[in-house]
Amino acid sequence: MSFEPKIVVFACNWCTYAALDLAGTSRMKYPANFRVIRVMCSGRIDPQFVLEAFKQGADGVIVAGCHPGDCHYINGNMKTLRRMTMLRKMLEDLGIEKERFRLEWISASEATKWVQVAKEMVEQIKALGPLKSKLEVMV
Amino acid sequence: MSEKPRIGVYICHCGLNIASTVNVKEVVEYAKNLPDVIVSRDYVFMCSTPGQDLIKEDIEKYNLNRIVVAACSPSMHEPTFRAVLENAGLNKYLLEMANIREHCSWVHEDKTIATEKAKDLVRMAVAKARLLEPLKEPEFEVQPNVLVLGGGVAGMRAALELAHWGFNVYLVEKSPTLGGRAALIGWIESKRRGSDIVNAMIKGIAQNPRIHVFTNSELVNLSGFVGNFTARINVNPRYVNEKCTLCGECSLECPIDVVNEYEFGLGRRKAIFIPFKGAYPQTYVIDYRVCVKCGECLKACRYDAIDLNDKPKTLDVKVGAVVIATGYDPYRPFMGEYGYGLHEGIITLFQLERILDPEGPTHGELIIGGKVPKSIAFIMCVGSRNTTPNAKNYCSRMCCTSTIMNAIRIKEKYPDTDIFIIYKDIMTYSSDERLYEEAGKRLIKFIKFEEPPTVSVGPEGLFVNVYEITLQEEIRIPVDAIVLSVGMVPRRDLPDLITVTRVGCGTDGFIREAHLKLRPVEAPASGIFLAGAVTGPKNIIESIKMGSAAAARVTALLSKGRITVEPLTATSDKDICSGCEVCVGVCPYGAISMTEMDGKRIARVEETLCMGCGACVAACPSGAMQQKGFKDSQIMAQVVASLGGV
Repeated sequence: MSFEPKIVVFACNWCTYAALDLAGTSRMKYPANFRVIRVMCSGRIDPQFVLEAFKQGADGVIVAGCHPGDCHYINGNMKTLRRMTMLRKMLEDLGIEKERFRLEWISASEATKWVQVAKEMVEQIKALGPLKSKLEVMV
Repeated sequence: MSEKPRIGVYICHCGLNIASTVNVKEVVEYAKNLPDVIVSRDYVFMCSTPGQDLIKEDIEKYNLNRIVVAACSPSMHEPTFRAVLENAGLNKYLLEMANIREHCSWVHEDKTIATEKAKDLVRMAVAKARLLEPLKEPEFEVQPNVLVLGGGVAGMRAALELAHWGFNVYLVEKSPTLGGRAALIGWIESKRRGSDIVNAMIKGIAQNPRIHVFTNSELVNLSGFVGNFTARINVNPRYVNEKCTLCGECSLECPIDVVNEYEFGLGRRKAIFIPFKGAYPQTYVIDYRVCVKCGECLKACRYDAIDLNDKPKTLDVKVGAVVIATGYDPYRPFMGEYGYGLHEGIITLFQLERILDPEGPTHGELIIGGKVPKSIAFIMCVGSRNTTPNAKNYCSRMCCTSTIMNAIRIKEKYPDTDIFIIYKDIMTYSSDERLYEEAGKRLIKFIKFEEPPTVSVGPEGLFVNVYEITLQEEIRIPVDAIVLSVGMVPRRDLPDLITVTRVGCGTDGFIREAHLKLRPVEAPASGIFLAGAVTGPKNIIESIKMGSAAAARVTALLSKGRITVEPLTATSDKDICSGCEVCVGVCPYGAISMTEMDGKRIARVEETLCMGCGACVAACPSGAMQQKGFKDSQIMAQVVASLGGV
């Protein structure tokens, strides 16, 4: 069987989770590689969650929330931006390719953007191959 | 909670919505082997009464203490299933939903893949459910006052209804008068004008002691939360008090002359003016944005009604809910769009409404660009339905009807006028269809376009060029006047209001309702309601109805005097907290403060101020701060389960 990447998505309740709902109600189609974890605000997402996901065998992780300036909680997404920028450096040090981690701003009406991000990411990670085998080699 | 989890898993078919893509029976069997699952079942519609009863009976029969429902999005039926738990005597926060419809069956086609994903989603939900804790909803008293933003038909209707139910209403209007755009345009039917309705509403508001009107005012800050908002209102000076007798002497002396926005740019007005005849408050007003305080009006006024020392005021009001009814802007064609601005015979539909108004600039006489036109062409969908590159992609809903209604009115008064309606599609929905029929009987000519027409402005006059699809040829129509049927767009200042009230907007730029069917007239933010064209194009009647609906929703929220809110707040564990204060700076609501406890400085969350974003939890270096319903352990369990672990 061909390689099907496992991708964990952390989505905020108000924008990205709603965009995924909209993709559903609009019957859009996208790859089934994503497992979504809902939080109220992307500002709740602890970088440790992302590290844990990679440790547990995720081939990719998406952190997604409202566009800057549109946060339901004033500026939670700006905190996300800062944290994830730091996390990105750490992932780089760990040898995790940058394509495996994405921070996306997807508003509640941007179901098409989600579908595009989803398709793109699956394609990129398929090209990279599974993460776990690489990590084992590194160890 | 120390007792061992006993989980019931319920998989919904949603008719065929889920069952046609997900093998529900297979998921049921799979769930039976997950840890702590006592019972796993499926049903055709879990949200139906028999479906709900199934869960309730199982809770009693198997002594279940956690419930997982795999069905639609939690935004759809989480409240339904929470109520089931409550009815069965279980804390309603012991429910976890797995979204196997919007996030699975509706977006995937392969049955095997969708079924595997559904199993994963159920496993993740069970993993979180095992760690759920009962939560208590905090209960607050609510302010029996409501802030209504916008003094147009929608806002006034909402204010009147709310006052009727006994609430105090602060009605805040940005312009110097109540009435909104309906006061200037529009006909409800052939004999009833928009202004008739506006005048009746204004009369009701003026007589109602519970409605406090603030014109020339705007909301500049909104703090607090549902039931207990504090709204800061800036009241700009009117400079004219109630001694004004409307004699108009001041206006004659005023040297400042500006475009009259109340005639949609057709005429000009002075800095001291009255917006229109039935304006409320019934006094002249000085436009604080253009007045140079020369004092000429002061000399002219014989009634001591003018005070140029009037200052802007700021006041804070406490309200339980907010109704946003700030309306729309007419689409403004750019210079040269269908010749707009190049010839005085080219006007917009809104300007035509003013021309045909007995109280308008021409006293109801059809005079466009200085003469009575013998022929008029209406061009439809200007600024709407993607007709031009910068047009909006939506239909503005009211323009077909009001164009045809105005064409008929012109034909009634000037039967010899040649009228052409050049349209993309005619959408006179509902009973307005009879207007379309009548227009045909009155020999108004309808010409359908596929490619938008063009307008040529030259020394020989005005021409509309359009490819006529039945004749299959380009035709050139000489006309005396052209009316552009412009649509409705979000107000230019709406983004500021969105920032202040923290509601979201959709792709069109209008404010988005929380859910069109399940939570209409509500903004996604709790305690904020929406009415009228602020959510998208509406006609006068629809706006009024939405005002009533919003008032009914506010009444339902505030009438009990107390409300409960979702307890998804943050709490700090005093034994773990080291008092580093990182959380204090992260909180956007100032809900966290430092306090002394047992000789130790620790963080304390004020539950009434915490909105439950969880930013402080992610920031806390020691894990002392946790968010109810979204604890680190609960999210970590989902992460592990999402990748196959249990």
